[in-house]
Amino acid sequence: MNTIANDEAAVVIIGSGAGGGAMAYELTAAGIPCVLLEAGAFIKNEDYHNDEWDAFRQMAWLDARNTSGSWRVAKDFPGLPAWIVKAVGGSTTHLSGATPRFKDYEFRARTTYGDIAGATLLDWPISLEDLAPYYDKAEIAMGSTHRHGRPALPANNNYKVFANGAERVGYKQYATGPYATNAEPYDGRPAAIQDGFNFQGDKNKSKWSPLMREIPRALETGLLDLRPDSHVVRITHGADGKADAVLYLDKDGNLHRQVARVVCVAGNSIETPRLLLLSDCSRFPTGLANGADHVGRHYIRHMTCSVYAQFDKPVHMFRGETMAGIIADEAANNPDRGFVGGYYMETLSLGPSFLAAFIEPEAWGPEFAAMMDAYANTAGMWIVGEDMPQASNRITLSATVKDQWGLAAPNVHFDDHANDTAMRDYAYGQGAEAVRDHGGGFLAPYTALSLDAQPRHLPDEREARGWCGRQMGPGARGAEPLRLGRLGDDHRRRGEPELTIVALAIRQAEYLAGELKAGNL
Amino acid sequence: MHPLAFTLDTGKDEASRALLVRAVRVAFPHANFPDSAYERTADVILTAAEGTPAQKLGFAATLHDLDQAGFAAMDDAAALEHLKSIENTPFFILTRSATVVTLYDDPEVWAVLGYEGPSFDKGGYINRGFNDLDWLPEPRIEEYEAAQ
Repeated sequence: MNTIANDEAAVVIIGSGAGGGAMAYELTAAGIPCVLLEAGAFIKNEDYHNDEWDAFRQMAWLDARNTSGSWRVAKDFPGLPAWIVKAVGGSTTHLSGATPRFKDYEFRARTTYGDIAGATLLDWPISLEDLAPYYDKAEIAMGSTHRHGRPALPANNNYKVFANGAERVGYKQYATGPYATNAEPYDGRPAAIQDGFNFQGDKNKSKWSPLMREIPRALETGLLDLRPDSHVVRITHGADGKADAVLYLDKDGNLHRQVARVVCVAGNSIETPRLLLLSDCSRFPTGLANGADHVGRHYIRHMTCSVYAQFDKPVHMFRGETMAGIIADEAANNPDRGFVGGYYMETLSLGPSFLAAFIEPEAWGPEFAAMMDAYANTAGMWIVGEDMPQASNRITLSATVKDQWGLAAPNVHFDDHANDTAMRDYAYGQGAEAVRDHGGGFLAPYTALSLDAQPRHLPDEREARGWCGRQMGPGARGAEPLRLGRLGDDHRRRGEPELTIVALAIRQAEYLAGELKAGNL
Repeated sequence: MHPLAFTLDTGKDEASRALLVRAVRVAFPHANFPDSAYERTADVILTAAEGTPAQKLGFAATLHDLDQAGFAAMDDAAALEHLKSIENTPFFILTRSATVVTLYDDPEVWAVLGYEGPSFDKGGYINRGFNDLDWLPEPRIEEYEAAQ
C-alpha cells in the first residue's frame, strides 16, 4: 500500500462505498495517487458473520442519530433512520445486488411528472444517453446478470413463488436479475452458492462490491493509501475559499489532518450533508457548499414496505440469493394509478429474529406467534418505490443529540408526500378482485396464487395470508448520494441506486483525471 | 401459592424467573418451543432489566404486581388478557422487545420453525434445497423478451 504524508496535498476521497470505491479505483488506474478515508473498519468478506444480528452489529452505522417528522421510523426506530454500513465498502456490503438502470424519463422527472404540489422535482443536467456508456462500464464492473453475456441466476424457492404469482397477475417483466452476483465464475469471483447471506457482507465473495473488486485492485496499483477507522469531521479551506485539508478522527478519537488538493465527498445521504454542515466557519456560517441553503434538503429514501405470504406448503425462502428476483411491471410511470412514478418488487427473505423484530414492531400475542409458527411456509418480497423530494425533508445537525465524540448527531426529518401516500394506498387498498382486474397491488402476486382455482399445481384450499410491514426503516438501506461532491440535487431513483452511483463515479473520475493531468486542479 | 415477597434481585430469584417465563410464553405462545428457549429468553430480559436503579425498581415492581394478581395461576386466556392490560408498561415493552430478538434468535427455536440459518460453512444451500419447492411450475428466469 502507498503511504501519502499528511502534509502532502493529496487527492482525498471520503467514503469507500459504491461512489468512493469506484472513484479510488478509476483514479489509481489512471496513475493518480489517492488517500481514501473510511469511517468504518476494514472488515474482509471472510470476517463477516453468517448471522443477521451478529452481522448487523458488525456492519451497521450505529453512531448516535436522531429523527423527526411524521414517518413511522421516527416512532419505531428513532435512532436508526437508515440502515447504512460503517465499514470499508460502505453499504455495498449490505446491498442486495440488484442493478436496475434508471429509465430515460427519470432523468426528466420534472418534465415528465409535471407540477406536483410540494415536490421539488428537477430534471437531471444529463440524459440517459449521456450516461449509457458508463452504465455499460458499471454493469461490466459489477458483473450484472442478464447483461453483457452474464447468465441469469437460477430460480430459488422464494423466486418460484414470486415469479409464478407475477405470471398469474399478468405481470411480464420478472426475472432473477439484473443482479450483481455471479451465476458462474467471473472477474475473479466465484459462482454464488445460494447461502442466503449476501446482505451480511457476502462471505462467499460472489457479489460485487468495492470491498471485493475496486479497493483491492486500487491497492495493487501501489497508489492508494486506504485509511479505515478514519471519520472525517471537517473540511477546511484556504484564503481562496477552496478546500485545502480534511480533519478526521481515528478510532480512539485522535484528530488528524490531511492536506488536500482535491476532496471527493462520497459519504452517504446522511453523513455527507452532516460533514458539510459540521464544516461551518466564519466565512461559510451555514456550512460548506450551502450558499443556496440546499445542503441536506430534498432527502429521499424509498417508498418501501415488505410483504409476506404464507402457504400450506413449504417455501424455505431463506435458502438462496436473498433478492435475486425482480418484478418491473409497476415501475413505469402510469399516473392513472393515482400517483406518479412507480416501484419495483423484489424477493426478500429475513430470518426468524429479523422477521419478528421488523414485520410489525409492536406486535405480540397468539396471532403473531401463529405467523411465526408458519415461518417455513412463508414467502417474502420487498417493495422499493420512489419518494417525492420535498424541501422540508432534511438532514440537519441535532441540537440535542451528540455522537460519541461530542459532535452534533445528524437529525433526519421526513414527512410523506401525498404522492408517497397515494402509492402506498394503491398497494394496500387493492382488493383481491381489483388486483385481478387491474394487475396491481403489492400483495397481488401472492393473492393470485390463492385465488386462481384452475392451476394443477395449486390445490383450491391454498390460502395466502399477507402482511405489509409498514414503512420499515432498517429494512431500507440508506439513501446514498448519486454524485460525488454535489449536494442538494434531486436524485430521482426507484430501486437500488448503486449501479447509477458507480456509473456516475466512473464518469466523474474520467473528468477529474483529465483535469488533474492537465494541471487544472 | 403464597405471594412472593417483593424482590429487587429478580435475576437471582427462581420464583421471579418462573413468573417471567410464564409471561413470555403467554405473550408468545408456541406449543412446540421447548421450555429451555423461554428460560434463556427470560434470563436475557432479567439481565436487560438491570439498568438504572429506576429501571430495576420499575421492573421488580411490575413483577411483584403480576404475582399479587395471581398471574401464575391464571389460565392462558386470562393471562393473555392480563398482559394486554399492562402492555404499555416499561416492563412489558422491555419483555416484548427483548423477546423478539432473543427467543426467535435461538437455534433450538430455529430448528422448530424450520430455519436452517448460517450456511456458508456447509457450502450454502446450493446443494441443500435452495430450489426444492415443487408445488409450482418452474418459472422463467430470463427477462421478458418483448421488454428488451
